[in-house]
Amino acid sequence: MGVAEHLSVDKQFLSAPVKSTVDKFQLLPEFLKVRGLVKQHLDSFNYFVNTEIKKIVRANDRITSLVDPSIYLKYTDVKIGEPSITADNVTDALTPHMCRLSDLTYSAPIMVNIEYVRGSHVHKTIEEKRNVVIGSMPIMLRSCRCILNGKDEAELARLGECPLDPGGYFIVKGTEKVILIQEQLSKNRIIIGTDKKGRLNASITSSTESTKSQTVILMDKEKIYVHLNAFTKQVPIMVIMKAMGMESDQEVVQMVGRDPKYAALLLPSIQECADSDVHTQQQALEFLEKKVKKFTFSNPSQDKEGRAMDILRDVLVANVPVRRGNFRPKCIYVAVMMRRMMEAILNKDAMDDKDYVGNKRLELSGQLISLLFEDLFKTMNSETKKNMDMNLTKTRSNLFDVSKFMMKGTYSITQGLERAISTGNWDVKRFRMHRKGMTQVLARLSFIATVGHMTKISPQFEKSRKVSGPRALQPSQWGMLCPCDTPEGEACGLVKNLALMTHVTTDEEEGPLISLCHSLGVEDLELLSAEELHTPNSFLVIFNGLILGKHKQPQHFANAMRKLRRAGKIGEFVSIFVNEKQRCVYVASDGGRVCRPLVIADKGVSRIKELHMKELRDGIRTFNDFVRDGLLEYLDVNEENNALIALYESEAGPETTHIEIEPFTILGVCAGLIPFPHHNQSPRNTYQCAMGKQAMGNIAYNQLCRMDTLLYLLVYPQRPLLTTRTIELVGYDKLGAGQNATVAVMSYSGYDIEDAIVMNKSSLDRGFGRCIVMKKLSATNQTYGNGTSDRIIRPQKVGSDAERMQILDDDGLAAPGEIIRPQDVYINKESPINSKDGGVPPTGLPDSAYKSTRQTYKGPQGETAVVDRVSLYTDNNNNLCIKFLIRQTRRPEVGDKFSSRHGQKGVCGTIVQQEDFPFSERGICPDLIMNPHGFPSRMTIGKMIELLGGKAGVSCGRFHYGSAFGEPSGHADRVETISETLVNHGFSYNGKDFIYSGITGCPLQAYIFMGPIYYQKLKHMVLDKMHARARGPRVMLTRQPTEGRSRDGGLRLGEMERDCLIAYGASMLIFERLMISSDPFEVQVCRVCGLLGYYNHKLKTGICSTCKNGDNISTMKLPYACKLLFQELQSMNIVPRLKLTEA
Amino acid sequence: MEGVSYQRFPKVKIRELKDDYLKFELRETDASMANALRRVMLAEVPTIAIDLVEIEGNSSVLNDEFLAHRLGLIPLTSDRAMVMRFSRDCDACDGDGQCEFCSVEFHLHVRCDSDQTLDVTSHDLVSSDPSVVPVDVQRADSVGYDTSEQRGIIIVKLRRGQELRLRAIARKGIGKDHAKWSPAATVTFMYEPEIHINEDMMETLSLEEKREWIESSPTKVFGLDPNTQQVIVIDAEAYTYDDEVIKKADSMGKSGLVEIYAKEDSFIFTVESTGAIKASQLFINAIEVLKQKLDAVRLSEDTEEADDQFGELGAHMRGG
Repeated sequence: MGVAEHLSVDKQFLSAPVKSTVDKFQLLPEFLKVRGLVKQHLDSFNYFVNTEIKKIVRANDRITSLVDPSIYLKYTDVKIGEPSITADNVTDALTPHMCRLSDLTYSAPIMVNIEYVRGSHVHKTIEEKRNVVIGSMPIMLRSCRCILNGKDEAELARLGECPLDPGGYFIVKGTEKVILIQEQLSKNRIIIGTDKKGRLNASITSSTESTKSQTVILMDKEKIYVHLNAFTKQVPIMVIMKAMGMESDQEVVQMVGRDPKYAALLLPSIQECADSDVHTQQQALEFLEKKVKKFTFSNPSQDKEGRAMDILRDVLVANVPVRRGNFRPKCIYVAVMMRRMMEAILNKDAMDDKDYVGNKRLELSGQLISLLFEDLFKTMNSETKKNMDMNLTKTRSNLFDVSKFMMKGTYSITQGLERAISTGNWDVKRFRMHRKGMTQVLARLSFIATVGHMTKISPQFEKSRKVSGPRALQPSQWGMLCPCDTPEGEACGLVKNLALMTHVTTDEEEGPLISLCHSLGVEDLELLSAEELHTPNSFLVIFNGLILGKHKQPQHFANAMRKLRRAGKIGEFVSIFVNEKQRCVYVASDGGRVCRPLVIADKGVSRIKELHMKELRDGIRTFNDFVRDGLLEYLDVNEENNALIALYESEAGPETTHIEIEPFTILGVCAGLIPFPHHNQSPRNTYQCAMGKQAMGNIAYNQLCRMDTLLYLLVYPQRPLLTTRTIELVGYDKLGAGQNATVAVMSYSGYDIEDAIVMNKSSLDRGFGRCIVMKKLSATNQTYGNGTSDRIIRPQKVGSDAERMQILDDDGLAAPGEIIRPQDVYINKESPINSKDGGVPPTGLPDSAYKSTRQTYKGPQGETAVVDRVSLYTDNNNNLCIKFLIRQTRRPEVGDKFSSRHGQKGVCGTIVQQEDFPFSERGICPDLIMNPHGFPSRMTIGKMIELLGGKAGVSCGRFHYGSAFGEPSGHADRVETISETLVNHGFSYNGKDFIYSGITGCPLQAYIFMGPIYYQKLKHMVLDKMHARARGPRVMLTRQPTEGRSRDGGLRLGEMERDCLIAYGASMLIFERLMISSDPFEVQVCRVCGLLGYYNHKLKTGICSTCKNGDNISTMKLPYACKLLFQELQSMNIVPRLKLTEA
Repeated sequence: MEGVSYQRFPKVKIRELKDDYLKFELRETDASMANALRRVMLAEVPTIAIDLVEIEGNSSVLNDEFLAHRLGLIPLTSDRAMVMRFSRDCDACDGDGQCEFCSVEFHLHVRCDSDQTLDVTSHDLVSSDPSVVPVDVQRADSVGYDTSEQRGIIIVKLRRGQELRLRAIARKGIGKDHAKWSPAATVTFMYEPEIHINEDMMETLSLEEKREWIESSPTKVFGLDPNTQQVIVIDAEAYTYDDEVIKKADSMGKSGLVEIYAKEDSFIFTVESTGAIKASQLFINAIEVLKQKLDAVRLSEDTEEADDQFGELGAHMRGG
């Protein structure tokens, strides 16, 4: 019946008449089909592989010998091949899963075509070589170079890949690594802010292919200075201007603006310049020359004239190019910076907000790898050049071949890329970049953790800053970054996550756009006089931070640009933003901007009509068609300021320019799992975002083929009864991480206080919360330098160790399916005693030359596990490696952690027999009982609605929806309709049931709120945490008990506990805890010299080694650590002496 | 105390009886009695279920423990259970659970050689005892299902080349130890409601108001007599003690329009069996077990050693 009902609804939906408001939801799955969840990573990497790498190689394409300039090597082309591995001169194609299993790097060769000169001196021939491998590039999964690209589900399955896996990460040495999205301040943009001393400044971080620099113009004591790292101290602005050829003060004033307000602000600076007797360009340059930072290590001969000029050209606002010695654009740029700063002085509102998302850029894996690759490539080239020159100076008989020297450097590219991605340390010498923690091991705890990890944005700032600004939720984050998904604690608000529909742009060709701007009526800067710069009737046009010129009709210009964009003539991600306040038009095509798609509306009427949606449903139209036909467009944060965006079409007015696609897309992947999040108190959603990543469930379709170090799986994962649209879009309904538990909200037995939950034993018997824990053990059959190697031998069937070797097969490895107990041997390995020198005799080493290095399973006593799988492979050094996967099935026990999807976590307080559980007249018996005190302070109304919706869902056989803000658009069921369904199925509208006590059989006093709620089992389980010890191992040095559960450590009686005992006066207890139970030690003390002696076992007396006798020896006990302290002090020439009195 | 008898003679009236479903009235007793019956049915009526699985070969996608858990939950016909021995009390085999008095052996050997997915179901389990077999869910009265497709309970699905070979031993047990031994899918009871309509006050309502009042109950308890237009009780037991009609009457300003009590001494039981034993047998067995337990209580008053006599029942009495 449920199925029939569902179908009929669908038919109705399809045959429904054209509605006034179009259901735009269908766009979302289309969007995700086209863009995918991790498209930003893939796009960025694809851009690098297809475009950026070619640019880099083209920029450094020639290596010319210094010795003989006619000898050169030139790169003509570069490309990246298919992922493959070359071992023993045989090249094999690689699949990602192969790499995961056998600890390989998923990489493809970087191939170049070269043209070079062969032979020296007389016989010079120009030769060409094609497809020369210069190294291998780790390949991002699902990128255009990955073999998974464009494969369908069946093909993916054949390759051992999960079709739901988003890709976007790398596999380096068998571990999956994500390059986190890095957030940083925009490059090449003027930002007005204040420095530490509260001085106003205008700063710009310039970044070009060759240099990176920061220029700061600041106001100090009424005067304006320029701060540059190349100068020893700040230099007056007027000197800089004069040095750049602006000798006339009037022109500078004109450039800043003739308004007396600005002129007045500039006056003190002009005064200062005149005072220091700088009037001409020559004088200014001489002045600056004195301020240039001297490098201690450079020889004075290099410190020649003209360094100041070079700095002005190459370092000061480096993003503005100086063509043929023309400093005018740079002067104008500096003047504009000054003007912006002065505006901020006159009006504080003109300050820029550093936390504003429009002022931020996200750096993605492609950009980061290109930085690294460029550096490595340049290093390789310089190495090649060095080798080439070295060889040229020597006279060699054989033919000189440049390409041979190149080969030597290839290893460094492969290694450099591999090392950076596997350690996460980005060291680029040219840019003085030393960043740590750029990559992380992909979280594979649950499917959601994986997807969530790919959208994570890591901050550039240090986490310790006390300021709240960067942590606060920025209004400009709307729709771009998830407002809920951020960690708690120190990284709160700094680590962010992308929202569902966010796209991050990649760089776009600048040249055509610039010429387009000019042809659309932008007056070139060169043609403008200083006076015209700030004429009130025109706007500056700024393209990627570069001033292009002026335009008289900015709005016209912007509209024209936008029209061209909608028509697909220019890139869809180009943003045009008219800033009325700054009287500027910003055109941006740079990479790293966040943007999102919106429906275009004309005078408040959506351009998307029902016919378009029908075409979409029929599969004629794709998402890209919508963009191409100008129905949708991408807006970045800045351009959003020029738009009036209506949430729904019905709310659109005549001024409206855009309409949101769906409001729930402001949330990210993790927050999208929460049903009715808009009914919850906001921190609860944040908590759930963190907890959803710890929930156990299914990880991927290929989860059982993987060999992860730790894998948590649920035995019977379910699809949530109350779903959201995001859940369906992401695939959480296919790879769920939880179970629908029937929850009764009531107090029961007192074992449910403080968020504990009471569980039904029969439910657990039937498989609720049952999980599988898999751990990896590995071993290597090492080969040593002297030719010897480890060996794995047959287990002994008799003898003392036979019992511990029962699970071994004849090959000396544990057999799959065997039950493994602690102390069991899982690999019967022997290693040669001498692995350093000597060799192997032809007969092989005798048995006596081996020592046993068998590995035993160390787990908690009494817990057994099963050997799930054993896999053998060869590692990079041609050693045989063995991985064992150990499996354990666990049922929930008291202390295991569970949580609903509303940030309501709790541990299992007790497990109760089903007959003691309350039951309803229908025979419904809850799976778990939750204390009602969890609700009032948490205010998680969403959970209550989830319960209601779930109950209605099981009654009528239809999955109910609870998408965020979904009620008006029908993506969330209303409580009223849910209640109606409940009543139709004989339940109370409020979800409460009449319940009998299972213990007495009497009805309970109150009606009980009962129904299904999706519960997640979290990875924290008591079995992994519980620890107690009576006696056990001790640390060798201090003889005190070891620390930590993993070492079977003692439980520390810490300082605070000690203080309590002191205060209480329980001195004997302190004595017992701190000494007797810790590290008691008997010492011989000499009463005369007060030093420690020793006990002579032959004479059976203590002897003082200082006094050389045993006359005045007393025996006493003290902590071994104390004895150790005495000895250490003695070694530092401090003599502690003990003075003994009779006790 | 001596000589005073609180003995009552409860009456049972069977309303509906199917193989796996039983509905009856239990009258003239109190909640303790009804609840005791319910609890015994759930947790203490013995059945037979697979308890020990020896996997000989398993190349399926599910792991050994997973399969063992699934096998355990398959209901087996357990008419023999009452006369069988618990394997821990079995003298014949020293409790290793491998003799005919306390255990039943099953074999399962399935291999998929076709390209189609092969379902391994409870029908593939071969029993050593014809009286103990997996419950056949395929019944004549199951409407709406194609009977040919209904092939028992799926254990695992196999693809080409996968094989499952195992030996399983089923033992007697009770639901208290593990839910797989519980013969009852649902056992629940309710107090029979007693509904008094204040006819005089009801007559003050208009027909529209009457209808409205009747509609206020989420379940069909009341109805209108088509002839007399009077409100009558159609189905008192449909009442779920939700108080909706009382609240409605209050809001209509007619407090006391209807009075509903729960009859403290009569219960309506619903018993659904897993199929391991017939619902009727389940009820009878429950009474039997309850009687044994009470016997144990009575005897333990006289002799201390009587404790041991009752084996595992004794353990229950000692709070096991």
